[in-house]
Amino acid sequence: MNLWKDFSNGLLKENPTFRLVLGTCPTLAITTAVFNGIGMGIAATAVLVGSNLIISLIKKVVPNEVRIPIYVIVIATFTTIVQMVIKAYSPALDKSLGLYIPLIVVNCIIIARAEAFAAKNPVINSIMDGLGMGLGFTVAITIISAVREVLGAGTFFGMQLFGANFEPALIMILPPGGFLVFGLSIAAFNKIMSLRKV
Amino acid sequence: MRLGLIIISAIFINNFILSQFLGICPFLGVSKKLDTAVGMSVAVTFVMGLASVICWMIQYYILIPFGIGYLQTIAFILVIAGLVQFVEMVIKKTSPTLYQALGIYLPLITTNCAVLGVAILNINKSYNLIESLVNGVGGGLGFALAIVLFAGVRERLDLAPIPKALDGFPIAMIAASLFSIAFLGFSGLFSGLL
Amino acid sequence: MRDYIRLAGILFFVCAIAAAALGFTNSATYDRIQEQQVIASAEAKKAVLPDAEEFENLDEAALTEIKSNTKYNYITEIYVAKAAGNVIGYAIQVAPKGYGGEVEVVVGITNDGNIQGIKVGNNSETPGLGKKAATADFQDQYVGATWESPIDVIKNATPKGNEIAAISGATITSRAVTDGVNQALEAARELSGK
Repeated sequence: MNLWKDFSNGLLKENPTFRLVLGTCPTLAITTAVFNGIGMGIAATAVLVGSNLIISLIKKVVPNEVRIPIYVIVIATFTTIVQMVIKAYSPALDKSLGLYIPLIVVNCIIIARAEAFAAKNPVINSIMDGLGMGLGFTVAITIISAVREVLGAGTFFGMQLFGANFEPALIMILPPGGFLVFGLSIAAFNKIMSLRKV
Repeated sequence: MRLGLIIISAIFINNFILSQFLGICPFLGVSKKLDTAVGMSVAVTFVMGLASVICWMIQYYILIPFGIGYLQTIAFILVIAGLVQFVEMVIKKTSPTLYQALGIYLPLITTNCAVLGVAILNINKSYNLIESLVNGVGGGLGFALAIVLFAGVRERLDLAPIPKALDGFPIAMIAASLFSIAFLGFSGLFSGLL
Repeated sequence: MRDYIRLAGILFFVCAIAAAALGFTNSATYDRIQEQQVIASAEAKKAVLPDAEEFENLDEAALTEIKSNTKYNYITEIYVAKAAGNVIGYAIQVAPKGYGGEVEVVVGITNDGNIQGIKVGNNSETPGLGKKAATADFQDQYVGATWESPIDVIKNATPKGNEIAAISGATITSRAVTDGVNQALEAARELSGK
């Protein structure tokens, strides 16, 4: 039961993207196509679960004074591993995410969960928390990228949706569209959550 | 000429915040007041310039000669974290006034992706040392321009009546979107300058 | 003091483990990454000159000489395409300046001066406008163009002969790609000695 709570926490109540507004850079930058959104979500989830696991394992032996540098090293290690795996097995994803793969290191979601959760909780719970947060992030950026891809390019997952006469709203896949869709998504999420409580 | 192009590109055309989405967290976090925005931008510009130079040296004098290019991410982030700590100590010792103004922003810079981003971009674009420095400082100035302008807007937003669901981050994002549209206008500058 | 040594020791230990883990992953993925890069670059060349069996780098001295000529300022790489041991053409990579930065284009030119194909690669053009240069619709227009006369870009008309229709809303990108292709044609003509 507790495990389920740790897992579902990241999906709705503390959704990292819509509720905590963390990790905004990749959320805005790579959400121009659903393929990128899902790829980034999986990559970040892998790093999140891995670093939560290790940090939770070593929490008793890490001296308090140097815990942040150690967390950073752990996260950077996982990020680099993920980067190498993507380069080796999915060059297309590597090309479209580019710079934003190494930048997973500074994705605030990961260090925030390390500090706020993994450093205080048992290993299994930390893994569940990582999975939940990662899934929450993945779902959120997939939704945003779906909206942007459909409106901005008239495609979904690269498939043409509308006839040849459809003029896509280009602005949606340009930077302004990123801010706009993200802002409106948070607003919509807030609205839904406030209705639920009543 | 090339240096001029790099600096204009970093400030306007490829503005770190508004067109590359690097450094959004501090952009949203500290842009509520004009004076904190100015303090943060000074600190970021300084660290970005310094990090560009040092990471460039690490890449070309340590990582490449030893054939350990795959340690790039981990080396850069550690260098930046160390650098930020070092700058903090130096400022604390030499200028307590400056420390008072910038102190609280410094630790935040480590997780600012603009800093790591510029360091990696310099390498990806195979800039030389001077070009990297210019790109780093230019990127910092672009960050400063965006965040300071945006802080001015957000100070006004506080007074405006905004629907509850849109209050806070959502309306800030929408304002940022309009800003970004304005900066789109610069994107043709590149071909015009050649 | 002893505390500092202990902390430094722990940090060092963690770094060592991290480096070991990365070294291990690197050795496990290194070959595959190299392979992927080779495949990717071979595919681009193969796509523009399907008849070629292998591509060799043009020898260093000849390439430097061509690059030093200002009329070939966009040329970055030249490959000699061979089939059954004979030179059948050239795959020339150019990087002309588009709307948002350099546009990478690989041009495949046969020995008798025809374009067999072009491929637009990395670029920072506007999505939905300039980025359309990388679609087959645009690229295929160049097929069959010859080095007898430079290719022209036209707007709002049906192209004939050595003309191509600009992408609507992206004339600068279309011109840039064409300029690059024209340089490649000129260089291929010089190389083949015709």
